[in-house]
Amino acid sequence: MNGPEVVFDEVSKFYGEVLGVNRVTLRIPSGITSLVGPNGSGKTTLMNLMVGLIYPDRGTITMRGLSPRDPESLMRITGYATQYDAAPRGTTGFDFVATGLLLGGYSQSEAEERATKALQRVRMIEAAHRKVASYSKGMRQRVRLAQAIAHDPEILVLDEPLNGLDPLVRAETIALFREYAGLGRHVILSSHVLQEVDIISDQVVLIANGMIIAEGEIRTVREEIHEHPSQYVIRCRDASRIASLLFEQDHITQIQIQDDRLGLLVMTRSRRDFSRALTRISLAGHTVESVVAADESMGALYEYLIGGDR
Amino acid sequence: MTTALRLRQVWTIARLQLGRVFFSKRSFWVYLLALFPSVIFFGHGLESKIRIQRMSSRATPPAIIETIREGDTEEEVLQRAGKPINDSTNRRRVVTKMGKLGKRERVEDNDEPERRYMMYFDGQNRVDLNFEAGILQRKRTRAILNFEEDRTVFAGVFQYFYLRLAVFFGCLGIFMNLFRGEMLDKTLHFWFLAPARREVLLAGKYLAGLIASVLIFGLGAALCFGIMLWPQNSVEVEAFWRTQGGSHLFWYAASAALGCLGYGSVFLAAGLLLRNPIVPAVVILLWESINGILPAVLQKLSVLYYVQSLCPVPAPMDSNAPLLIRLLASPAEPPSAALAVLGLLAVAALVLWAASRAVLRLEINYGID
Repeated sequence: MNGPEVVFDEVSKFYGEVLGVNRVTLRIPSGITSLVGPNGSGKTTLMNLMVGLIYPDRGTITMRGLSPRDPESLMRITGYATQYDAAPRGTTGFDFVATGLLLGGYSQSEAEERATKALQRVRMIEAAHRKVASYSKGMRQRVRLAQAIAHDPEILVLDEPLNGLDPLVRAETIALFREYAGLGRHVILSSHVLQEVDIISDQVVLIANGMIIAEGEIRTVREEIHEHPSQYVIRCRDASRIASLLFEQDHITQIQIQDDRLGLLVMTRSRRDFSRALTRISLAGHTVESVVAADESMGALYEYLIGGDR
Repeated sequence: MTTALRLRQVWTIARLQLGRVFFSKRSFWVYLLALFPSVIFFGHGLESKIRIQRMSSRATPPAIIETIREGDTEEEVLQRAGKPINDSTNRRRVVTKMGKLGKRERVEDNDEPERRYMMYFDGQNRVDLNFEAGILQRKRTRAILNFEEDRTVFAGVFQYFYLRLAVFFGCLGIFMNLFRGEMLDKTLHFWFLAPARREVLLAGKYLAGLIASVLIFGLGAALCFGIMLWPQNSVEVEAFWRTQGGSHLFWYAASAALGCLGYGSVFLAAGLLLRNPIVPAVVILLWESINGILPAVLQKLSVLYYVQSLCPVPAPMDSNAPLLIRLLASPAEPPSAALAVLGLLAVAALVLWAASRAVLRLEINYGID
């Protein structure tokens, strides 16, 4: 029994001769998890495997203890918003959401009530009775999200859920993800927008060429990358003096004084030693206004682990 | 998950699919197939009615027609029966003979006697009179509408066209689209992402296809049967209803419905396994066509074998038709009605079971990312 985790155990999937994912072993805890990787890396394959749209050639997957081969149970606790239009031809947004609920065994009135709530949640209630085919890209995205959340699932799987959303709806959608995660649920999403991943993710899974490159919290993943020195931006009054004090440390590899001479970009091989050195400098009476990690971001991780091409 | 809930899911899926099945642009031609025989019989009935109506004003009482005998002279006939509806004379027959220059020439045969043709109408029947040299040589009475003949023609149209082609291709259009059509529209994953077993989805879709096809082809058969009866003599029709009419109508509609049940299961399974509908259509059509000449065991693996045996009137076969056509069209040794229904249900159940295995393995790709 795997409990409330999404677990991939040595999972491989091939599309004929083409590799989908290879020997993926993952444990995804509850919270917001972002799957990040270049096009064709295997993100959608992982998501489709989770919900049983495709099956692994090797290995096993469990979603909070349930198998993707059991959609009857799994899809009661899972909502999946695909990148593609799922609505059967001629369906209105409302019917699209309500139909999924009817199939789940809800009564007509309950399905309509839940569909209305879900559509209100994504600000689509006014357009609910228009045909999905007439929706804009952003509206389609929202109605898919409404369908995914309508049955209040424990696991939300979302393929590029923020694509095409305007800033206001985007912020509301992120708030929705946070709310779900706060309830101890899984929100697993893929995104190309690394700044967003930074903001919303509790943990990330980096994937390239069908293989998992790294997984965990962004900070933890960053700490595991030893070949790239960590970067910090220090804001202080006496930048030159602090720079010279830091240069005495073995672990410091590079320091750049910023143009306004009130800041430094410091590169260190040891975060712990850097922290200690900075404490000593502060205690010696030098004013350090702020210290910010400059490469504890998804962008940096992506560049270090996968390369520049997103 | 209870059986009741699963059954409710089956019905929900079927209900949602019905709209798509009935109004799909892809399978609009199914209606044309189902209504084609009705249109033919309607045309035949209308034409017969118009002819009867047109000739009725000049009808000769049947009692007078009865008195006309072979050997009567033209004058005697005209005196008794009056002016005929149709009267034509062929004084000299034109024949082709070898000419003097060795070429064929068309010449009048002066040795031939004068021929005359008269047509009377007695209110129901057309009476053709052929005279030679002024003497009635042949009297032939033919009903404008022959109920017996029309029922035989209906049996032929039903078995050779309706069951073998209309129901066959109609089911192909309806049932292949249930899965394959959604794959083409990229909407099948909507159903696969529902909290329902794949077998339940299969059953729901099959039920939708079955309801639609049974309604279209069952009603199509009943409508055609009704149209075939419409222009017939009311006394004959009434007598028919009192004896076998209801049973005939039931078994025609039932065979169409059971044909849908059988072909539906086959094409639903084919839609899961194959991309191109032409391949299964050709293979199954061939299999069904040669059913009559297959060994007894293999005959039982055919839908046509069962449904043909349920038809109340055997299909006519022209004894002059080529041997191959006669062999292909001849029905296999028919089972009893009960055995036919059970056999068909067994074939459909077997095919649906195979389809349920296939749908469990079915995977959907939105594209590799």
